[in-house]
Amino acid sequence: MAVATPALAKRPPPWRNVRVRRWALQALFLLVVVAVVVWIYENLTDNLRAANQRTDFTFLRQQAGFAIPDPGFSSADTIFQAFLVGAKNTAKVAFLGILLATVLGVVIGVARLSTNWLVRRAAAIYVETLRNIPVLVIILFWYLGVLIRLRPLDEGSDILGLVNLSNRGLVLPWLDRTGGTAVFFAVLAVAAAAAVAAFLWRTRRFDRTGEPHRRVLWAGGILVVGLVVGFFASGMPFGLSLPERGEFATAGGFRLSPEYGALLIALTLYTASHIAEIVRGSILAVQKGQTEAANALGLTGFQRLRYVVLPQAFRISVPPMANQYLNLTKNSSLGIAIGYYELTRIYRISVAQAAPAPQATLVLMLFYLAFSLFIAGVTNLINRRLAIRGR
Amino acid sequence: MATRVDTIEPIPVPEPERPPTRRVPPQEWARENLFSTWWNSLLTVVFGAALAWALYKVTRFVFFDAQWQIVERNLRNFVVFHFPRGETWRVWAALFVVAGAVGLGAGAAATRREIEVEEGRAPAGGGRFLLVRRAVPLVLLVAVLLAFARSLEATLLVLAAAAVWLVFRLAGRRVPARHARWVAAIVFAALVAAYLTITAFGGVPWDRWGGLLLTVFLAVGGIALSFPLGVLLALGRRSTLPVVRWVCIVYIELIRGVPLITVLFMAAFALGFFLPATWDKPGLITRALVAFVAFTAAYVAEVVRGGLQSVPPGQIEAAQAVGLSPLRTTRLIVLPQALRAVIPGLVGQFISLFKDTSLVFIIGLTEILAVAEIATKQPDFLGQGLIVETLLFVSFIYWAGSYWMSRESQRLEARLGVGYR
Amino acid sequence: MTEATLTADATAARGTGEPMIVMEGVDKWFGDFQALKGVDLVVGKQEVVVVCGPSGSGKSTLIRCINRLEKHDKGRIVVDGIDLSDDVRNIQEIRREVGIVFQQFNLFPHMTVLENITLAPRHVRRWPKAKAREKAMELLERVQIPEQAGKYPGQLSGGQQQRVAIARALAMEPKIMLFDEPTSALDPEMIKEVLDAMVDLAESGMTMIVVTHEMGFARAVCDRIVFMADGEIVEVGPPEHFFENPQEERTKQFLSQIL
Repeated sequence: MAVATPALAKRPPPWRNVRVRRWALQALFLLVVVAVVVWIYENLTDNLRAANQRTDFTFLRQQAGFAIPDPGFSSADTIFQAFLVGAKNTAKVAFLGILLATVLGVVIGVARLSTNWLVRRAAAIYVETLRNIPVLVIILFWYLGVLIRLRPLDEGSDILGLVNLSNRGLVLPWLDRTGGTAVFFAVLAVAAAAAVAAFLWRTRRFDRTGEPHRRVLWAGGILVVGLVVGFFASGMPFGLSLPERGEFATAGGFRLSPEYGALLIALTLYTASHIAEIVRGSILAVQKGQTEAANALGLTGFQRLRYVVLPQAFRISVPPMANQYLNLTKNSSLGIAIGYYELTRIYRISVAQAAPAPQATLVLMLFYLAFSLFIAGVTNLINRRLAIRGR
Repeated sequence: MATRVDTIEPIPVPEPERPPTRRVPPQEWARENLFSTWWNSLLTVVFGAALAWALYKVTRFVFFDAQWQIVERNLRNFVVFHFPRGETWRVWAALFVVAGAVGLGAGAAATRREIEVEEGRAPAGGGRFLLVRRAVPLVLLVAVLLAFARSLEATLLVLAAAAVWLVFRLAGRRVPARHARWVAAIVFAALVAAYLTITAFGGVPWDRWGGLLLTVFLAVGGIALSFPLGVLLALGRRSTLPVVRWVCIVYIELIRGVPLITVLFMAAFALGFFLPATWDKPGLITRALVAFVAFTAAYVAEVVRGGLQSVPPGQIEAAQAVGLSPLRTTRLIVLPQALRAVIPGLVGQFISLFKDTSLVFIIGLTEILAVAEIATKQPDFLGQGLIVETLLFVSFIYWAGSYWMSRESQRLEARLGVGYR
Repeated sequence: MTEATLTADATAARGTGEPMIVMEGVDKWFGDFQALKGVDLVVGKQEVVVVCGPSGSGKSTLIRCINRLEKHDKGRIVVDGIDLSDDVRNIQEIRREVGIVFQQFNLFPHMTVLENITLAPRHVRRWPKAKAREKAMELLERVQIPEQAGKYPGQLSGGQQQRVAIARALAMEPKIMLFDEPTSALDPEMIKEVLDAMVDLAESGMTMIVVTHEMGFARAVCDRIVFMADGEIVEVGPPEHFFENPQEERTKQFLSQIL
């Protein structure tokens, strides 16, 4: 007897069909989103027209009409060029800040794991204080409370005639080109090549014989020798440009403005407190078994750190570090509060000069997005390179 | 078997020995922790000198050199700014309501926790004086505020508020566990009541708030409103519907890619353009709140997403297998587990928000940081460089608040730790 | 029982009879918890000893004290004539002579199999790279996974990882091998491949202490079984004696639970 085959399932009515439902839901969602966007856009154009402002982005090509203390910019340039100068200044503070915060953060993070009680406590106090105060307060403190309260220029401190520190900023001695500069760099280049060669030679020798390589010592020594030889071979490779105090400003040297200084110091100190926690956490996160295995194999303390713990801690720390770098870059926007000419300040001036606020804000956000995407891209690359392979 | 001796006689059970005592005399402790090697000794000396010098400088400034009159005379500005004097009682009343509500909640939570520990569902923790130690930053904050206020009335009112807290905590401890959800509702209602105490019946709308009151309002309002939005965004980001997912991803990533100040500027300068011309333009504080909510929601969404990912896929499969609809699966199975894991992360977001409220200074609102700046421009204090004093004062307020919360969140994290539930 | 009889006991088993590891009255505390209570044990050269006992009985602590992964609080440990004291040089020397295989493998996840094995020979023994590689490949042949040399630990199965861990420990040419529950983290089908490698090692004359619940392995390979409970050595004997005629109540109870 044949088993009765069940009749083919009838096609369900559309309101019960899973696939239809999915499409309908998405269409509905999209409709609502688009409706809201269109509504906002309509309001926006209406309002802008009523306020007699442009509804497009052509304001970027307008003459800026304001000055920025930057040699490459005059008030006759466009607003877009002003934004570029702002981006350059943002990059300037972000780049150096990331560098310094990393160094300081790593030092403090390692100090938090020190066997020395005093060092450990000092590092902990640093972290717990800085982390819990808004970065804006720290920026204002360094600017209003410290840097611009330095003595005015005419009685500012000259240290040995080399460094000039006043409420106009810090002026450092800087180097000028002379006839010998080229020779110096030529010698230095040769020394660098020799250092690389020595490094490789020592590495290969170590591979061949197993004797200690001391390759860093060798390469460093050769570089130092090159520096010294180059210095004397070229006579005097650089002229020294010293700060000279004028009535209202200094001439010569390399000047760091108090605005830049305050922003840089504050961002560095604040971010370092977060990086220190990441460093500490990453080192602690390397599993105990790894240390035990290294010990059992007879590796020394330094070898254990160098070959087993740090490479793994570094991998763990890459994503949160990238996050801190992003935060530092974004926090540099607070330079506006002390008048540093970064992106946000340029934006603020532009809006005050009748650039349409909605579009200008959008442009500002796009600039920061570009920064964020750049940092995120670089870290993703590093992360992929370092990813530990598994099944 | 051969005559070989094969066994060691069992060792007689030794009398209960104590571990070799680790009661270390001070000089030994110092040798181990401060002077173990010459390098360590050097560090100790250098750090000791630097720390002592810094401590000396700070102490000298705080207790001798600082001109604290600027804070004393502006204390009211720091706390409520231009809040109408006649209505100040409303703030006090609200404080009492909040103290009661928080006390009730804390008491109920403590009881519940006790039961959990008893039933072995949670690790015991703490030790004696835990409550006292936990409150140190807050007590310190209140003490400093009162020291500057130098007002008997204020001191008594604060003590009364503390008493209210204590009474309600004791009451909360007696609430049976089965009524726990009522406690949550009561606490929520009380917070709304506190808000209404200040605003309703001829009160002061939030547009006119300032100082610490504004700081707290923006932080609490911001996190409360951004939480539901963040949960929706997180669910949307994990939705199986591609359109929903992509819209949420774009929103979250755009917001996370830009600084908060740009969002604040968008709200301050551009929000008005987005609304029909016929509508009333929202006030600046409202706009700031909108910006905080829009900004924080993206971060909350990422925190919640982390929690959602921590729920094993087997849970969803099991829920579907017993016939729960997708909506019910989310509401009854996924969210309860995810949100529990997410609490410390949310506290972290709240701390960030609390610190970030200082940014409204830049768009011209007067929360405490702005007061610190404005005070130095008063005729009595102009040009005396007292910004260090005022900034130090607001730093302390921020520090006490966020340090306290971060400690609490660490405790929570330890408590929600792995292995339980 | 005196030390002399202990040594004699070891002699009787296998090998040459020189004591390789001597533990006398070893105590170990973790805070207030005493993990080892006056442990006395002598292991002879080329002897294979299996340590078993209920969890928390101090088996792992016992062998981890031998290469100073845990610091013992009281008593004496002498490994191949080297006194395990606080002297860093002694510790380092003992660690070179003692290899250990962990329950959780503890391979370095950021290095390839080959790099895992050659790391210590190159940097501790200071061998030339070529020699270290040669040795590593030889050991990988021996544990039968030479084709995995270029892979990362995460790409291998548990059994393969544990065999790499054995090879890594052997690369230092240790005189003693310690095994801390080497098969407990493995799927059943992978246990045999690891045990095979261990049997091979025992037959080659390696001095071994193995903490394990694999009673089959114990019966077939080892010279003596040490039974521990509550931080004490309760009973020691050759496998046939231990399984057929246990003397102590605690031993009988344990055996009835696992056999």
